[in-house]
Amino acid sequence: MKKLGIIVGLAFLNLRRYLRRTLLTASSLIVGGALLIISLSLGDGSHEKWIDSGVRIGTGHITIENPEFRTRRTLDNRLPNEVRNLAQAAFSVHAISENIASVSVRLIVKGLVSSAVGARPVQIVGVDPTAEAEFSALDEQVIEGRYLVPDDRFVAYIGVGLAESLNLRLGSKFVATTQDTNGEIVGQLLRVVGIFRSGVTEIDRTLIHIPILTADDWLELSGDVTNISILVKNSDVVPTLVNRLNQGLSEPISNEIITIMDWHEAMPELDNAIKLDDFGNYVIHGILFVIIGFGIVNTVLMSVMYRRREFGLLQALGLTPGQTGILVLIEGLILTITSGTIGVVLGVLVTWYAWGDGLDLSSLVSNEFSFSGFIVDPVIFPLFRLSRLIQAFVFILIIGGIASIYPAFRASRLDVAEAMKFER
Amino acid sequence: MISTALAVQVESIRKVFCQEAEDVCAVRDVSLDIERGEFTAIAGPSGSGKTTLLNLIGGLTRPTSGRISIAGQDIVAMSNQELAKLRLREIGFVFQAYNLLPVLSAFENAEFQMLLQGVAKAERYQRVTALFERTGMAGLRDRKPGKLSGGQQQRVAVIRAVAGRPALVLADEPTANLDSSASESLLDMMYELNRELNVTFMFATHDSRVMHRARRLIRMVDGVIDSDERYR
Repeated sequence: MKKLGIIVGLAFLNLRRYLRRTLLTASSLIVGGALLIISLSLGDGSHEKWIDSGVRIGTGHITIENPEFRTRRTLDNRLPNEVRNLAQAAFSVHAISENIASVSVRLIVKGLVSSAVGARPVQIVGVDPTAEAEFSALDEQVIEGRYLVPDDRFVAYIGVGLAESLNLRLGSKFVATTQDTNGEIVGQLLRVVGIFRSGVTEIDRTLIHIPILTADDWLELSGDVTNISILVKNSDVVPTLVNRLNQGLSEPISNEIITIMDWHEAMPELDNAIKLDDFGNYVIHGILFVIIGFGIVNTVLMSVMYRRREFGLLQALGLTPGQTGILVLIEGLILTITSGTIGVVLGVLVTWYAWGDGLDLSSLVSNEFSFSGFIVDPVIFPLFRLSRLIQAFVFILIIGGIASIYPAFRASRLDVAEAMKFER
Repeated sequence: MISTALAVQVESIRKVFCQEAEDVCAVRDVSLDIERGEFTAIAGPSGSGKTTLLNLIGGLTRPTSGRISIAGQDIVAMSNQELAKLRLREIGFVFQAYNLLPVLSAFENAEFQMLLQGVAKAERYQRVTALFERTGMAGLRDRKPGKLSGGQQQRVAVIRAVAGRPALVLADEPTANLDSSASESLLDMMYELNRELNVTFMFATHDSRVMHRARRLIRMVDGVIDSDERYR
């Protein structure tokens, strides 16, 4: 143990003595580390935006539904009012409520909208206007009129695509039809109170919001709904929150009345898009660090060759071959730990300084660029996650450690008598 | 039979270097005993095998055949780990090119082998200080090797070699890079350490000054001992 202390001390001194070589090797690791952090923080920031956009327009970070609802989408697969009350009770538990940003209770049915010029298939969503305005950004995307308000009845907030195709304007009346709980076709006269443009063509053509009280009366549901959608304050807590809700709502879950899904399960397209993008980034990071790793092997190996006599001397003085190898390995690890730390800090600072207010890519993509049903915001805000910084640091450490193994092996295998002859 | 009274016992050692064109026999069936406290020079022209013999005795190279014991320990069968331990405890080295660790000061270089041996700090300080004062190096203890002359560096190397109180100091051409005055001064120092501290020295040299100071002179030619003479 004492000898290890001597070796570590010697490693520090050697790094300081061969300063130019140390700085050369360190600089590649520092630059690589900084690039890694820039890429990860911007990538994570971008994905967080995708998630935020996707869950707001979709079913939230977490959704509570009937297990059959996703595949069948009929009112037979709705959540009874009692379950809705149970869920509300579960949300009031402090460990759950402190993580929830907003909850929207929705009644989603497939239907048909008809006007004088024709009919179009739509998704009719009955919402609580106040809760929905907090939950989704759809209320902010109004281009004519306004979003729903609590006192509204028999009105609808429709997409611009639907309005154009059915020649509907503000104040226009139209009929929405769907199937009630008995399978009967039922219609409801509605008036356009607002028109929105989400940027996602599919949504603009097919989505309409109506007051949930109107939908409830129309379909005679007595407070039953189809979805309870939850937005959380930080997407990192989703798995924990799903576990807690599973515990809090274990009875209706075990009776197969409800299921709780996180956004990965509820929105597989979004999840896959992020995984695919992450994979591409990891491949690029891998290639970058393989190149950096070879650079380190080269520099450290050259250093070992250059310092053969020094290593020979250490063995002549009584260091074992293994201890000589450990000296080289420790030099590599000290260099990697120091450079990795500097690289990570530098990456955070550069990203913060250069793009803390957002990296605006609007010159490259249109403002209404959508992908897999969600809008991609062209302004990316970097996101620094401690777990990502640790991951990046460990990754750099592994690359630096691996890159030092071969030179350490060479140092441990040198022929001492030959090394002492070596003239530089 | 290995004798513990001897610093070095060499029995019929042979060292063959395998090369592409032909095998070269650098040391041929050499047998040799070195008693404790001897001041022995191994002389001979280049290629006579003197450095190889020193390397074999120091455990830096393994013999092709034969037996070597240092302070009563057979080193031929030792593992690399055991050899390293033996070198640490029993052998001090002085090389032609000084070979001090460039990152350490003169004092730190001198105590380095003792540091590896686990000698206590106070003891290291006392031994090195005494040797620095005895050899006129007291004022240079904090200098890095690059700030010392060749002669001064070699003095530090000798102090390092003897400070750990080894059974044997092996010096390969210690004066080859020094001018005559530095060589004389270094030899005086080693001679004094040998007489006063009873340190066993073995030199490989073709410096006549070293040969004249030696109390035993072994001449090698073509890997064999040509003559072995003792003086005084």
